Amino acid sequence: MDAHPVRRFGVRILTAAAFTAGIVALLLLARSVENSAQFSRWQPWILLVNILGAIALMVLLARKFWQLYRDFRDHVPGSRLAMRTVLMFGALVIAPLVIVYLFSLDFINRGIDSWFRVEIKQGLNDAVELSRSALDLRLREQARRTEIFARSLRELQGPALLQRLDQERRATEAKEITVYDAYGRAAAVSSATPLAQQPAPSPPEVALQLAAGRSYVSLNSLANGQYTIETAAPIANAVSAHAGRRYVLIHYEVPQELSALAESVQRTSSHYGDLSTVREPLKISFRLTLTLVVLLTLLAAIYGAIYSAQRLTRPVQDLIAGTRAVGKGDLATRLPLSSRDEMGLLVHSFNDMTKRLRRASEEAMRSRQEVERERERLAIILSRLSTGVIVTDRELTLHSANQSAGTILGSSFEGAAGQHLTQLPPGTARFATFIAELRARLTSGWDEWREQLTLPGEAGERVLLWACTRLPDERELGGVVIVFDDITALLAAQRDSAWGEVARRLAHEIKNPLTPIQLSAERLRRKLLGGCNSVQKGPLPL
Amino acid sequence: MQTISRLGVALVLLVALAVPRGVRSAGPLAGDFQIRSAFVVVDHGVLQLSAHIEYPINDRIRSALRDGVTLAFDLDLTISRHRRLWFDATVRETTLRRELTYHAVTDRYVLRDETGVEQESFPTLEAALDKLGRIEDLPILVESQLRGEAPWEVAVRAGVRRGRMPDALRALVFWTDDWHRTTDWYTWMLTL
Repeated sequence: MDAHPVRRFGVRILTAAAFTAGIVALLLLARSVENSAQFSRWQPWILLVNILGAIALMVLLARKFWQLYRDFRDHVPGSRLAMRTVLMFGALVIAPLVIVYLFSLDFINRGIDSWFRVEIKQGLNDAVELSRSALDLRLREQARRTEIFARSLRELQGPALLQRLDQERRATEAKEITVYDAYGRAAAVSSATPLAQQPAPSPPEVALQLAAGRSYVSLNSLANGQYTIETAAPIANAVSAHAGRRYVLIHYEVPQELSALAESVQRTSSHYGDLSTVREPLKISFRLTLTLVVLLTLLAAIYGAIYSAQRLTRPVQDLIAGTRAVGKGDLATRLPLSSRDEMGLLVHSFNDMTKRLRRASEEAMRSRQEVERERERLAIILSRLSTGVIVTDRELTLHSANQSAGTILGSSFEGAAGQHLTQLPPGTARFATFIAELRARLTSGWDEWREQLTLPGEAGERVLLWACTRLPDERELGGVVIVFDDITALLAAQRDSAWGEVARRLAHEIKNPLTPIQLSAERLRRKLLGGCNSVQKGPLPL
Repeated sequence: MQTISRLGVALVLLVALAVPRGVRSAGPLAGDFQIRSAFVVVDHGVLQLSAHIEYPINDRIRSALRDGVTLAFDLDLTISRHRRLWFDATVRETTLRRELTYHAVTDRYVLRDETGVEQESFPTLEAALDKLGRIEDLPILVESQLRGEAPWEVAVRAGVRRGRMPDALRALVFWTDDWHRTTDWYTWMLTL
């Protein structure tokens, strides 16, 4: 495995981990709002993690947007499509999220406000008043009873007092009855709890109340939710009105059921009061959480939109780049097959097309090379031919001419291709005549002929055998090929040959009678030589 | 120029952060709020704190309490020992936390400790605040726990805030919550 896939795998793992962490952070954030008490300590950290996540996403998004802008600015193939896709996806994501966000904000405000409706507050106040009224009845009753009981203690002292206290405590189910002397010291105590304990201290306001001539009654709540009633009443002094006044303090316990109900009302009222103080912070907390969640979701969605757009447009970008490469002639271009969907089918078709194009191009090149070879071969043949060949169109624009054509016509066609034949340097008279004759025929509509042409010249007339043939031309420019040969020498040779034949025949005719004469002479000689000497044997002078 | 303006902004922020909240805005806790006296005595080897704190009292506090708001009263105490060329060593750091609520059914102000085990009720807010402000013989340390050499610096600070608010919400409204005020540190040197 090389480094690139390893890095890609690592990036994927990190992305998955970041995504999971983000989801967990969001869930924790939601949980922290649902259950503030449990997550109270961790909420700032959860918030911090989410804020950091949002910042990280913003950085990533900024990077992505910069890439998109740079590609768009540099006209990178596919950048416009990617930008359009991102804008479309973004609009699709942002619009519903914003709507949901606004509605949720409204719901939060309304929801929290509904907790503190005036009716609820009024209901709680009424419940408190009801509880207080119920207890007030009992308070008044106990206070009145205490006053009556205090009057009954006027004459009592010592054991009789204690006995009366016990009797009263049992009768009323009071928790404790204490008689204080004029100095505030406990003079007699009757308690439901063992007497080893000290009597409950007299509250300072008791003496003040009694001194003011009012009876004292007080309702208290204990930490365990139990309610107690304290009542006090002065005891008239039978001995002397100036000897100071004793008073009796009685502790009653409110029945358990009534205490529980009153405590429940109190707790609810207190809880409501505490809750009302966190009304705005709660709203802020919910809004902040919602905003953060929406922001994170929005950022993640936009990032996802960009990522999806880039993934979608990447094959298109590859296709565009591939098409451009093919346009520039690079038929070896092959695109990576990234998916097996329609886009993958398109990429596959593209690869197939370039493959076929390459094959066709190679075949065309082979054909062209073949044609080129043939052309070169033809050019060589033409250049070696003693026959002159000129290819021209009906307008006498020279396409090609071989060397022999120039030699025969006494001109040069070197570099004259593409020029009008009439514009070439006139050269020799026979060239001019040739061009004139050619022009005359072509303008007359001739395109096929084979005949002799006699051209004038300084060294005598030259006779050409020239033929013209129309070239098959798809472009219908009317090209013709003129093939001509200098047959002056041939004609001369034919003439010489004819004369030789004449001479031979003449000689033959002459020689015909001589042969018998010679033969007769030789026979005579042979007959005569037998009697001749060597001189006589020699040839006869003619 | 830009750097200077940035430094200016940073300085303003630092000053805003450094100013004690009690000084910045009294708000609903307006009124005298100070530690009038505080001292530590040693009784049978136990250091006991006595202090007299004057808590603010006004109609807004009374109204809030009657609306069911719980007020938390903190008394922070720190005993530290000075060290040369280094931070002071903290010998003891503790907070006495109490809550004051209005008991609507009994029409009394209930003062309870942090645990809620002990509570005391008062017919008037003044009486409750007077009780709150009088710390008497509160054991804070055993003499043997005083490490190092004398003198030690004792610092006491009182604070009032809305109680029973989750810390997370308290953090959210930290800069906008008027129901939070502390006194300056009341310090003195302790020698045995």
